[in-house]
Amino acid sequence: MADYDEDAKKMTLKLVYYGPALSGKTTNLVSLHDLLSPELKGEMMVLETQNDRTLFFDMLPLGVTAPSGLLIKLKLFTVPGQVAHDSTRKAVLSRADGVVFVADSQTNQSINNAESFENLAENISRVGLDVESLPLVIQFNKRDMKAITTEEEINMRWEKTPWPVLFASALQKRGVIETFKELLCRVYRHVDQDVSLSSIHGLTEEMFVNKALGE
Amino acid sequence: MSVELNDTLPLIDFDQELNIDQLLSPINTGQLYNSLEALLDADLFVTNLSGNCLFGNKLEQETSMMPVRADMEVVAHLGTTSDDQEKINAAVKLIELLLHGSARYLMASSLHFQAVKEDYEKLQEKHNALQKSEAKYRDLAENLEQRVEEQVKTIENRQFQLYQAEKMASVGQLAAGVAHEINNPMGFIKSNLTTAQTYVDDISEIISLTNNNSSIEKIQACLKDKDIEFVLEDFQVLLKESTEGAERVSNIVKDLKGFSNIDRSENEIIDINEVIQSVCNVALPEISKTAELILQFSDLPPVECKPAHIGQTVLNMLLNASKAIKEQGKITLSTEHRNSQIYITVEDNGDGIPPDVLPRIFDPFFTTRTVGEGTGLGLSVSRDIIKSHGGDINVESTQGVGTRFEITLPGSKQS
Repeated sequence: MADYDEDAKKMTLKLVYYGPALSGKTTNLVSLHDLLSPELKGEMMVLETQNDRTLFFDMLPLGVTAPSGLLIKLKLFTVPGQVAHDSTRKAVLSRADGVVFVADSQTNQSINNAESFENLAENISRVGLDVESLPLVIQFNKRDMKAITTEEEINMRWEKTPWPVLFASALQKRGVIETFKELLCRVYRHVDQDVSLSSIHGLTEEMFVNKALGE
Repeated sequence: MSVELNDTLPLIDFDQELNIDQLLSPINTGQLYNSLEALLDADLFVTNLSGNCLFGNKLEQETSMMPVRADMEVVAHLGTTSDDQEKINAAVKLIELLLHGSARYLMASSLHFQAVKEDYEKLQEKHNALQKSEAKYRDLAENLEQRVEEQVKTIENRQFQLYQAEKMASVGQLAAGVAHEINNPMGFIKSNLTTAQTYVDDISEIISLTNNNSSIEKIQACLKDKDIEFVLEDFQVLLKESTEGAERVSNIVKDLKGFSNIDRSENEIIDINEVIQSVCNVALPEISKTAELILQFSDLPPVECKPAHIGQTVLNMLLNASKAIKEQGKITLSTEHRNSQIYITVEDNGDGIPPDVLPRIFDPFFTTRTVGEGTGLGLSVSRDIIKSHGGDINVESTQGVGTRFEITLPGSKQS
């Protein structure tokens, strides 16, 4: 749950970009770093190996202040996608307040997507979160590639799930903000129940989203 | 001032908020101070948010305090005697860069520590599971011999029970015939005894006359009246018949006992013909309902075998043959000693066995009879018995003509 320090008037929300290896999680964060101009934006922390593969995590910190003076830090993390780093993935996922699942749209990646999503569901329950209530958004990335699964087919496959599906091309900076916005809305509603962001801190959903995106 | 890694690692959680003391812990602040002093070309100090000096020399004079940020928040202030704003900004930037790098290092190392710890725990778990299964297999290997022995004993027990069940089933089929065979002599023995009782009464009457000093005429009249000559003659016949009847009953009981001896199945050296004769005695009442039994015995050398088992096998052959015959038929049972082998042949002129059934007749629990009528074990047990005697059992059958079973036993088995 949200890390809320009432005395210090500070709250930290942890948002995790999950998904199979090389699906574009770090690229999502880099694009957001370039595109967003929120109230507060910290230095992006990147821990890549020589092959551009995330070894531990990447982290992009953003900040929003409520009319009450409450500072809300949004910390966007990526996990390492490679199967071998499951313990690291699990540690990054723990205490998450929201998750974006970044899937690879290429037709030959559907098995990797499915396995990674299964791994996500498993780890969500292993770290003590609830897959039913955790804010979760699905992003199908790499729409700019040639051999990709069609939107119709993807929508059909996911229509019975409770999660929204968005399409993106993180390299071309398309769909990245929309995905993030969708997640912010869901996280706000979830946190509002616990912390009363609107009634006590005077922060509406619209204000929260606009401040975080810098619109 | 440098801090040992052990003092700062691991963080409880890699993503926890870091305070200025933690952020400075991996940094050699003495060297940082020297670099900043060289950069600013002036004295300096850094304080935390409470105003306490973290490093450098807190200056007496008033200085402007520049905020130093980490993770979007002010975490410290830089005070300096320099008034070169460009250099001051560069100094703040340098400190912020170092703090950022420090946070990066602390987070990565904590996460690494956490992941390694968890991987290690997983390995430990697997290791324990492996040790457990290894112990299980070692235990299994050690006890294997004993377990095999137990299993063999169990199987032997089951087999014995199976033999017993099959024996009871085939003997059961004889019950009606045997009962009749016993009832018959018992009937005339009873009737003879009743007659004998009246003879004894007659004789007592005459004896009492002689004891009462009755006249000769009276005694003679009585003797004539009772036809005492016939009474004595018939009395003899009655006794002889009754003795023969009792003999027949005792023979049947003896033959039956031969079947009940399966559990006392020790090897005996016997004449197979005697065993077969005994079986035929018991089975004849049942068989003779539908068929004529023809026995053709040749002289056989005594052999070592389990008589009750051989008897059960022959009984099975005979009962099967009689069931194959619908109307008045013929069953021929012959024995022969040839090439040191003993041959027992049971041949009938019944229905024969269909070709599709023939290959399966020795399979356990295979039966063509309706449920309750056959166990499906008769031929299976018979074959086991003959094989255990070192012999063999073969069958030839033509539908509509008849069936011929041939049992072969080693003729001169030495014990």
